Amino acid sequence: MFKTLRISFSLKNTYRVNTILYSLKQIPLIRKILPSTLYNVRGLKIFANVIAILWEIMTFFVTKLTYIGTMIYIVADLYEGSATDAVFLHIFLFLTIIGAFLNTYIFETGKDKYYAIVLMRMNPKHYAITNYAYTLFKAFVGTLAFGLLFGITAGLSIWQCIILPFFVVGIKLAYTSLIMLRYDKAGKVPSQNKVDLTRWIIALVLLFAAYLLPLAKFTVPAFVSSMIMLPFILLGILGIFVIARFKEYYSVYKQLLSELAIQMDNTATKVVADQHKNFISNEGNYTSNKTGYEYLNELFIKRHRKILWKSSKVISLVSFGLILAAFIAILIFPESKLEVNELLLVFLPYFVFIMYAINRGTSFTKALFINCDHCLLTYSFYKQPHDILKLFTIRLREIIKINLVPALIIGGGLTFLLFFTGGTSNPINYAIMFVSIICMSIFFSVHYLVLYYLLQPFNANTEIKSGTYQLISGATYFVAYLMMQARFPLFIFGVSCIVFCVLYSLIACLLIYKLAPKTFRIRN
Amino acid sequence: MEFVIENLSKSFEKKEVLKDINFTFESGKIYGLLGRNGAGKTTLFNCINSDLKADSGNFYLVEDGDKRGLKPTDIGYVLSTPTVPEFLTGREFLKFFLDINKDSIGKDNIRSIDDYFATMNISAEDSARLLKDYSHGMKNKMQMLINIIAQPNIMLLDEPLTSLDVVVAEEMKQILRSLKTGRITILSTHILDLALDLCDTIVLLNHGTLEIIDKENLDSSEFKTRIIAALTEESHV
Repeated sequence: MFKTLRISFSLKNTYRVNTILYSLKQIPLIRKILPSTLYNVRGLKIFANVIAILWEIMTFFVTKLTYIGTMIYIVADLYEGSATDAVFLHIFLFLTIIGAFLNTYIFETGKDKYYAIVLMRMNPKHYAITNYAYTLFKAFVGTLAFGLLFGITAGLSIWQCIILPFFVVGIKLAYTSLIMLRYDKAGKVPSQNKVDLTRWIIALVLLFAAYLLPLAKFTVPAFVSSMIMLPFILLGILGIFVIARFKEYYSVYKQLLSELAIQMDNTATKVVADQHKNFISNEGNYTSNKTGYEYLNELFIKRHRKILWKSSKVISLVSFGLILAAFIAILIFPESKLEVNELLLVFLPYFVFIMYAINRGTSFTKALFINCDHCLLTYSFYKQPHDILKLFTIRLREIIKINLVPALIIGGGLTFLLFFTGGTSNPINYAIMFVSIICMSIFFSVHYLVLYYLLQPFNANTEIKSGTYQLISGATYFVAYLMMQARFPLFIFGVSCIVFCVLYSLIACLLIYKLAPKTFRIRN
Repeated sequence: MEFVIENLSKSFEKKEVLKDINFTFESGKIYGLLGRNGAGKTTLFNCINSDLKADSGNFYLVEDGDKRGLKPTDIGYVLSTPTVPEFLTGREFLKFFLDINKDSIGKDNIRSIDDYFATMNISAEDSARLLKDYSHGMKNKMQMLINIIAQPNIMLLDEPLTSLDVVVAEEMKQILRSLKTGRITILSTHILDLALDLCDTIVLLNHGTLEIIDKENLDSSEFKTRIIAALTEESHV
């Protein structure tokens, strides 16, 4: 048994260590320093091992500390007018029941299990029972330590606290053995990675029972909670025999891991590619009368309506609805006019984030790459500088058009609201508000398409390979997010925003004309 | 016409994949590029097609004694996994391609779209379907068709025919043979029999360099033994 534990632990550890090393290799700059043989470098291996072991120790304690500490103890303390000890046990009781069937450990599927049982052909029963015992042991120790700590602080007696870890382990054993008994008849086990509706509903009901009943001043008395817990300990002991005698570990894991194996064969990139393939739709049998790149573009846009125009229309409708709602709200509460007016005059930076969030640029470029450029870039005619620039211009026009519809509605709506709530002393503010929203929309459209043409972040497998691209995307988000916090007078912000967007777009397009013929390729 | 590679080198981090390659390919011949897994066949193709930047080296064409650099349109690259724009129908893809390239192909050389499909044995019904619904073999044919019409001076084929059914594979072989005059065809493959059957010259990519294996007067089984010996022998150097 210890041998199995040692082997499975070292397997899991190797897997973790390599994952850590692999992630290190994904970070730009650091990647350059690391040798290509990093999986063999002793120092790095030791470093990753230390992290992996720390991680394992963390799982021993930190999970239970945060779980019992935040989800039970702190919450229990919040309910006024109820005895903390009773609420503590009440929540603990219900959450543990949820945990018993949502988190069985033994029916959990993970890559390490797949490697051990399917690829390395370890004895499934030994593997399952050993790892199960180890996980239960961890849960027991963690619950014992923090059950005592928080339990006693909450006012429980020592014996009430000591029951807790036995209850946790007992109910898990009992539930697992129940599934095993049922498996002998039904030939199926519930997958833990795909929870069905019934179990979700039961979990939700129990969750409400855990947190809402005490709010309604109904708490299971502390003594009763403890009495409910005790029989599960006995059931758990009986469960041990069932689990030890169960013979069908291999078939159970075969069933559970087969789903995982399919996922592992279909790498994430293939899933993305397949998903994009499904975006192509020839409903309505669209054709085009144009020629050359305009022809290509028109067919692309028409066959990708689902992800391009349709979402743009939905966003437009929602924006329209929100503005209409704001308008009606102001009609009903005319006293809010002044406040809304003041808000509108300083709120423009907030819309940087909104325009960022609703921009279809990333889905557009991603679809462009996966469904179009990824293939056509292997043909030499497509890589001619003149052709690259021609198509860039067409695409820029399209992406701006797609994003412009919601921008017009938002820009127009805001300007109208500004007027309706009392207007502004400087009439030019109307124009600035409208134009700056339009500019933001154009800016993000240009930004994404230019990034795509200059960095062409994908490789032939449609994975994002460019660290710079990810860095800039992250920075874009960050700036847009910061803007959400900022408040500037409409005039100053609007004018600088317009100037920035126009300048940026001009410079970006100039860069494209200079650089894109070289940068727009498939990465290796 | 000759295609010359001069001092081509390419390394990935510390691994030298191509080491100072110097080689001249002659037009009218099909070259079979053989090499073991990871020998750098695809890297070589990617460098020629400038998908990958070489660390050093030049490529040029010599036509009637005049040297000139490679243009993208000189090269047709057929990948092992066929890549076609899946949102278009076969017919639309061909129309688009002809639109863009009508000047370079020349008006007199352009035939009707139906004609092209007929030469590839693709039915009118199939030509009107979206490429995403094409089978692997059909996509391959489509990719080949485009490359044939473009009439490149250099045709690079990465592992062609390996995943095609016997009938399509035989069709493709015929097409490749009929196309070889006036251009340089280089195909990389793992399948020795295919290389022997189709290629005029066998070139080994081994330890980062290119080397012609002379057939001399050997019969095909002796030749095979020699190729395998060359590949295994050198890998122990």
